[in-house]
Amino acid sequence: MTGCGAVVRQVAGGAVIVLSGDIDGSAADVLSGAYQRAVADGDPATVVLDFSSVGYINSTGIALIVSVLAMARSQRRKVVACGLSDHYREIFDITRLSDFIELFGGLDEAVSQLVQTAG
Amino acid sequence: MTRLADGETRRLAEFTVPSEPGNERLVLTRVADAIADHGLSERNLDRLKTAVAETAMNAIEHGNRNRSELPVRVEVDVDGQAIVVAVTDHGGDRAGGAGAGGEPVEPDIDLKLAGEQSTRGWGLFLIRHMVDAVDETTHGAWHTVRLVMRLGTAGEQGDGEGDGR
Repeated sequence: MTGCGAVVRQVAGGAVIVLSGDIDGSAADVLSGAYQRAVADGDPATVVLDFSSVGYINSTGIALIVSVLAMARSQRRKVVACGLSDHYREIFDITRLSDFIELFGGLDEAVSQLVQTAG
Repeated sequence: MTRLADGETRRLAEFTVPSEPGNERLVLTRVADAIADHGLSERNLDRLKTAVAETAMNAIEHGNRNRSELPVRVEVDVDGQAIVVAVTDHGGDRAGGAGAGGEPVEPDIDLKLAGEQSTRGWGLFLIRHMVDAVDETTHGAWHTVRLVMRLGTAGEQGDGEGDGR
């Protein structure tokens, strides 16, 4: 079991939340705090969730991601994600999270999309 | 991997864990160790691991109500057709849909995003989509959820939504 970590950084066209560890019930404060930091500066149009260093997501973690998505949509922000393993991509498809969160392979791909959108 | 004769079942693991939050990860690890090299693809191994962790979490939180003195019992079997993981808790007195752990409502992300349904409630949904079959039995105080992941092509090609669920 590895605690959830989150690093926030601003990029052209959006903000990136680099997640690490486990996305489960213990990640609630980390995830919501990271989202608040991400949108506090620069009013980003898009928030990127980078799951490259996440090893485990459970049903409670899915609920937390839905909460972040709901918050972002209420603020008219887009959420995209990158770095998901094939297994978690399948879970995003089954839960239909991927209907609302565009998925990219890696962070560079996701960020370059932001730059294109911003340009 | 040793091929089993028709009808032969082999017990791969049998253990208990205390009902403490987070112990579903311990269950996941021990089951994964037990079923390594028994013919599941990486994809189906990941799917079964998710189903096992969610089932164990339900057993700990809802079946045994996080009472650490109540163990969750796990049995892992293989036969020529499938891996079967049975998770037993003390929730036999629960109302219908005990395996759901209070999640009788089919999760709908549209409703969740509209604030009309709790963001939670994905556990049983994931379990049902991750394995080939799920069944629940209750004997007195005991409640058991059995997860079945078929070996070979059926399980590899299935989307986990079959078996009449």
